[in-house]
Amino acid sequence: MSQQVIRIVRPTKIELIRLRRRLAIARRLHKVLKDRLVILTQEFISLIKDALSLRKEIHKGLDLCDEKLAKALSVSTLREVEVLATTLYESFQVIVGSRVSAGVRVPLLDIEFSEYSNALTKKPLSLIDAARCYRSIIEKIVKLTEIEYSIYRIGAEVSRVKRRVNALEYILIPRLINTIKFLEMKFEEREREDKIRLKKVKELLLRRAGG
Amino acid sequence: MIKDEKLLERYLSEELKVVNRSLPIKRKTLSELLREEYPHVLTRDGGVHMFRRSELRLAYELLGSELASRLYLPIILEVKTEFKETVMCVNDAVAAKLIAKILGLKYYELPLYIYPKQLSVLRRSIGTLIHYAFTFS
Repeated sequence: MSQQVIRIVRPTKIELIRLRRRLAIARRLHKVLKDRLVILTQEFISLIKDALSLRKEIHKGLDLCDEKLAKALSVSTLREVEVLATTLYESFQVIVGSRVSAGVRVPLLDIEFSEYSNALTKKPLSLIDAARCYRSIIEKIVKLTEIEYSIYRIGAEVSRVKRRVNALEYILIPRLINTIKFLEMKFEEREREDKIRLKKVKELLLRRAGG
Repeated sequence: MIKDEKLLERYLSEELKVVNRSLPIKRKTLSELLREEYPHVLTRDGGVHMFRRSELRLAYELLGSELASRLYLPIILEVKTEFKETVMCVNDAVAAKLIAKILGLKYYELPLYIYPKQLSVLRRSIGTLIHYAFTFS
């Protein structure tokens, strides 16, 4: 914590009032930034947890899908699988947008598949199962992309806000408090000096009146 | 000294602008958003805030058609900076009802106060439907 005192041109009562006002503003700013930091950090941590679990799910899912595909290939030919892969979806659309999370703009990705109405009729069940499995993996990969980029953006903002919170907490606010203390001590000392001076003057006047 | 004071005040207002610059210009109702192809609102900084369709559908399921036309999105969570702890509050009755349903609160009163621990639940289910606003007394 900073032990320094802010350099003041004149140690006056007006300066003390100004310093107190500055301290109040600095404390309010600190609270706003700290609240934002709490929200951002929470978001950051939950995103990291989501990304980790999603990655695990994708790895497990890929193994499962490969198994299902192998099973499907045992009942249908490779040509059939290829035909299904090209004719299963009429189109798919990746919607790319942005959303705002605690003042940070993060991407929003969504994927929409439009399936042919009769694409899966008269197809072996194992093949349909494998196709559905791969589709869920693609959806998860899109979600993971969104989360990982959000982690990067929110992480950068967390470090920026944290620097500001620390600057206020450990430098500006302690300096202001120290300066206020210094001025108060100076005024107290001045008051004590004045009191003693008045006492001396009173004594002198009494002595003169007595003499 | 006066210069420093003004600098600090300006910095504070700038920081608040950064925090609140992404608030929406005009909010839309849930039923309006569900009708849009790409549900979105415009923000004060000139950007776009998009909503996830699955989250909109979840809100519709929880509220029903009547309340869907009365729910304005995004839901503004006011961060109360005057409290010692980080606390957010919701003043809108319909939004409070939706949040209470998601959080599993049987009894609640307006304004509904939300604590950081409850935020993660909200973020998971209706992350794109909520927005933070930092109020400053």
